Amino acid sequence: MMNLFEASWVIARRDFIASVFSRTFILFLIAPMLLFGFVAFFSSVTDSQNRAALQPNVAVVADSATTEALAQSRARLVAGTSEQSFPVLHPVRPAENLAVQAQALLADQSGGYSAVLGGTLDHPVLTGPTNAEGYVATRLQLLVDDARRTAALQSANAAPAVVPIERVVTDQAAGNLQMIRRGVARAGQAIIFTATMLLATLLLSTLVEEKTNKVIEVLAAAVPLDAIFLGKLLAMLGISLVGLTLWAGMAGLGYTFFMHIFRDWVALPDVAPAVGWPIWVVLVMLYFTTNFLLLGALFLGIGAQASNIREIQTISMPVTMLQLLVFFLVISVAGPSFGPAALAAYIVPFSSPMAMIALGAESETLWPHLIALAWQALWVVIIIRFSSRLFRRTVFKSASSGSFFSFGRGKAKSGS
Amino acid sequence: MGGPAIEAKGLVKSFDGKEAVRGIDIAVPEGSIYGILGPNGAGKTTTLRMLLGIIEPDRGTRTLLGHERPLEAARIVGYLPEERGLYPAMSTKEAIAFMGALRGLPLEVGRKRAEILLQQNGLGDYVDKPIKSLSKGMAQTIQLFGTIVHKPKLIVLDEPFSGLDAINQGRLESLIRDEAASGTTVIFSTHVIHHAERLCERIAIIVGGQIRFEGLVAEARDRLRPQVRLRTRNADGPWRKALPASAREIGGVWQFEQPEAGIEPVLKALIDGGAGIEELSIERSGLHDAFVAIAGESAAREMEGAHPDLGVAA
Repeated sequence: MMNLFEASWVIARRDFIASVFSRTFILFLIAPMLLFGFVAFFSSVTDSQNRAALQPNVAVVADSATTEALAQSRARLVAGTSEQSFPVLHPVRPAENLAVQAQALLADQSGGYSAVLGGTLDHPVLTGPTNAEGYVATRLQLLVDDARRTAALQSANAAPAVVPIERVVTDQAAGNLQMIRRGVARAGQAIIFTATMLLATLLLSTLVEEKTNKVIEVLAAAVPLDAIFLGKLLAMLGISLVGLTLWAGMAGLGYTFFMHIFRDWVALPDVAPAVGWPIWVVLVMLYFTTNFLLLGALFLGIGAQASNIREIQTISMPVTMLQLLVFFLVISVAGPSFGPAALAAYIVPFSSPMAMIALGAESETLWPHLIALAWQALWVVIIIRFSSRLFRRTVFKSASSGSFFSFGRGKAKSGS
Repeated sequence: MGGPAIEAKGLVKSFDGKEAVRGIDIAVPEGSIYGILGPNGAGKTTTLRMLLGIIEPDRGTRTLLGHERPLEAARIVGYLPEERGLYPAMSTKEAIAFMGALRGLPLEVGRKRAEILLQQNGLGDYVDKPIKSLSKGMAQTIQLFGTIVHKPKLIVLDEPFSGLDAINQGRLESLIRDEAASGTTVIFSTHVIHHAERLCERIAIIVGGQIRFEGLVAEARDRLRPQVRLRTRNADGPWRKALPASAREIGGVWQFEQPEAGIEPVLKALIDGGAGIEELSIERSGLHDAFVAIAGESAAREMEGAHPDLGVAA
């Protein structure tokens, strides 16, 4: 008998070649890049429109002095914050009856007003379905307060001049370092999560081909089921790494191009993760690999139970939700912490890779990574073993041979 | 021939609480051609799968070329399953080489042997053609080549003749004979008795998950006495008393089983009684008759029903 790895290699090589040299692989490679390009393009085009559409419009029914004072306050405050920080104000000439006018403005579909601000700065009246603690009411209160304060200071001739803050620039600040490393940690988690979600779910359907084409019996008669599972997993890992390498290369080119053009305007923080960039990049690759193998082995096992593509599609949604759940759990606890939740994230196999990459960004100790990688690898083995036994039991309706730990070696039962 | 290539004792297998195989014993001598006969659902495929280790028996033991763990002998075993399976996008050469690689044959060697096999069998033009472009019979031939490309010592074929036309059935019979002649053990299951009759030295007849007969084909035939056919010039006379009680006349021809004491006493009595023998023949029973006698009429009908196009050889 070939050993487990020889047999896995035969399966992996077939799957890898069949996938990489197929026409659909080109589509597989360019689809994420096209998607990214479309999203970037359309989001830049629609961003300002969307933001404007999402901002509440408020009709200001007041005399011109009040309207002007409010507009100036808004302009002043927006300059220090953002355009989205305050509702958009629309001056409206007052009618005789404010209450009736306000109702008419709120009912006017073309105006699109969320509220009507009337009265004076000394006695402002807000009409509309607003909440005292809500965005519109609180922000208008700020505007009114600022307008009144400014008017009072100006009438007393006591408006202070703007004093610029003198900056003393230093290399680093602990708070900044922590914040940026936390950002790097999140980025690492997001990369691992996104890449795994895009790629590992492909493993759900990988055994359907063998079942549909009836090849599975040919394989099962020649090599251990463990080797079939491991081979398929390694093939998909190889395919994924080819894709990731290409995507990373394209991203690198894009980054270089971007920096070449915008180097005068963009300054990236000069901060490395705690373990340093080279080791951290290696850790990202290693943890992507273990995360892929862990989830991939699980998906392979689940997908192996399905007998057709429709069943695979049905399984896909809960599987994606499971991934999202793990991701949100991890980002809620990860960091250089060793509380119960963080420890659980480090230990639970499916969250461990993402939790550990965050640790790599924020803590310079390396030995926990060696333990974590070994721990995760052990779980890959356990899941493959479990999946293949489950497959034998449910698909071949046969009890597994040998003990759980006798990898790839079956033993006939004796005695009748 | 040496010891048994396959030896199974008391194999039992249940699916969903129903026993599909109930205590099967088989011994396949090395270098022989061995047939497993039985109707659909008799347990032939389950038996072969247990022998190969694809599924585990609930009870019983088996050895394959001396190995208790069948996968340990995988390099020297070839298997053609009943449900044929190939990757449709693979070329014929790659498919054959891949099946060899699964059994430990280096890919390069597998590719060379695949080309030779294809050319020797008149399929040289199909070396680089994808499997999906082939007819069903041709694809089956490719899978058969994949089964033997690594030159196994034991070939296991599950219903190898089904789906093949008469010409390809003949080719397959030749191939099986050639493999056996080179010392390879061949075991196959079939619904079609005449293939087993022409090819096998030993057979097992399985019905309802149990072996009804296991032994030489000749022994199976010998379960029935030879049939005597007699035509006489005289329609009546004292000679008729010499006929056995079971004798029947069909279209002027008398038919009866050869008596236990042999044909000579009957022959003498017929001559002495003035029968005027025109024609007398003694025919050994065919495997079909033996199968009917061993497995029962209903099992034979099930086989005929399962493959009405191929039928059961008379």
